[in-house]
Amino acid sequence: MPVPPPPDPAVLAAIEQDYKPVPLRLNENQVLCDGHGLEKCGECEVDFVAVNQLAKMIVSHPEYAVPPPPNMIPPQRSQAVSKAKEEGNSAYKARRYPQALHSYTIGASIAAARPSWEHSQVSRDEISILLSNRAAAYFEAGEFMNSLVDTEAVIAIRKPWSKGHYRKGKALLGLGKGEEARDAILTGLSYEPTNQELLTFLAEIENKIGRG
Amino acid sequence: MASILAPVLYVAILLGSLLIFSRVYRRRLASQRKFDPWFPSHPERDLYVTLLQQSNPPAPDAVLKAALLRRAAADLVRIQRIREDKQALQALIQKGSVGDDLWNSCLAAEKELEAELIEVVGEANTFHEQWGQIIFATASELNANEKIKAVLMNMPKMRAEAELKYGLSKTITAGPVAGAVAAAASPSNPAPPVASPSTPASASLSPPPSSNGFDPSDAESSTSAGASSSGKQTKKKGKKRKT
Repeated sequence: MPVPPPPDPAVLAAIEQDYKPVPLRLNENQVLCDGHGLEKCGECEVDFVAVNQLAKMIVSHPEYAVPPPPNMIPPQRSQAVSKAKEEGNSAYKARRYPQALHSYTIGASIAAARPSWEHSQVSRDEISILLSNRAAAYFEAGEFMNSLVDTEAVIAIRKPWSKGHYRKGKALLGLGKGEEARDAILTGLSYEPTNQELLTFLAEIENKIGRG
Repeated sequence: MASILAPVLYVAILLGSLLIFSRVYRRRLASQRKFDPWFPSHPERDLYVTLLQQSNPPAPDAVLKAALLRRAAADLVRIQRIREDKQALQALIQKGSVGDDLWNSCLAAEKELEAELIEVVGEANTFHEQWGQIIFATASELNANEKIKAVLMNMPKMRAEAELKYGLSKTITAGPVAGAVAAAASPSNPAPPVASPSTPASASLSPPPSSNGFDPSDAESSTSAGASSSGKQTKKKGKKRKT
C-alpha cells in the first residue's frame, strides 16, 4: 500500500491541542473511571461500556489477532440459528405455541450474540425473521401485546419488509384498534405498493372498520 | 567622509531583526488553529491515546484494539455528520443567513478528520499489517450492529409504552420472553454458548414455562415436549410483568 503523504502540521497541531487525557483505571480487560471505578460515571463524565463490551468480545475470540473483515463469518452460528428456526416452525405448525415461542427466543438470542464485526446484514435478516415468526406465534396464542412489541422491533430493524408491517397490522387488529391497523398497513404499502398480502388485509380491515 | 559603516550596520540590523521576527511569528500563527473547532471534543481518540500512554501496567492488547475500533467507529459517524452539515451549510450560505466563518470552520474540521483517518489507519497497521485496510469496514459494521442491538435492548421499554398506549392485555408468557433476547444482546452476555438450541443455555434464556393462565391442553403439550427442561426456573426479569 503506498505511503500516504504526511498530514499538514497545522492540522496535527490542532489535533494535539484538542487532546485531553482521560482519567481511567485498568482492571483486567476493563476500563474503569479513575475516581470511582465505574464503567459509566456521570461525575467523571465517562462512558466505557462500549469499549469494555468490545474488549470482552475480542478476548473471547483468541483465534483472531485482530477483528477479521466483515465477510469472514464462521457457519456454526447461522446453523444454530436456522436449527432453532426450524424447531420453532414445526412447533408452530403443530400449534404448540409455547414451544415455538421458546425456540424462536433461543434463536433470536443466538443471532443477537453474533460478534459485532460480522456483516450486519446477516444478523439483521436472522433476527427480523425470528422476531416476525415469534410475533406470529404470539398472535396465534392470543397475546397481541407481545406480538405488537415484536413487530415494532422488526420494523425498527428492517423497515421496508412487508411482513413486519403486515404482522403489526394483525396485532393491532387483534387489540381492536382498526384505525391504527390500517395505518400500519398503509405504511407497509408505501414501501411495497403492489404487495398482495397487504392489499387483501387492507380490504379486510376496511370491512371491519366499516362495519363497526 | 565619515565611515558609513555605522548607519548601514544600523539599518541592516533593524531590517534583519524585523524579517526574522515576521518569519517566526507567521510560522507560529500558521501552526495554530485559525477557526473554531467544529466538534467540541473527541472522547474516543482521547481514550485511545490515554490508553497508549499507560505504562504501569500497560494496557492489554484487547483493550487497545477495542479502543481503536471504537475510535474508527466514532470517526465514521463524524464523517457522516460533516457531510450532512456541509450540505446544510451550503444551502444556508447561498441564502446568506450565515457568514463565511462557519464555512471555514467546517472545511477545517473536514481536513482534520482526513488527517485523523490517516492516523487511525497507521495505528491499525501497528497491530497487524493488514488491519489498516479493513478497520473502517469493520467499524461501519460495528455501527450497524450496535443499532440493531439497541433496538433489542429497547424492547422492554417499547413494551411498557405499548401497554400505556393500548392498556394491559392478556398475557400468558408475559414480558420475560421479550426480555430474554435483550438479555442475550446485553453487554454481560457477549458470547452465549452456541449449543444446540433445544437445551436452554442458561437460566436467563428460558421463559417461565406453563404458568398461570395457560390452556390445559397447551400446558400438557409443553410439559411433554420437554423444552421446559429448565423446570420451574424463572427469569429474574420476568416477575415484574404478570397480569
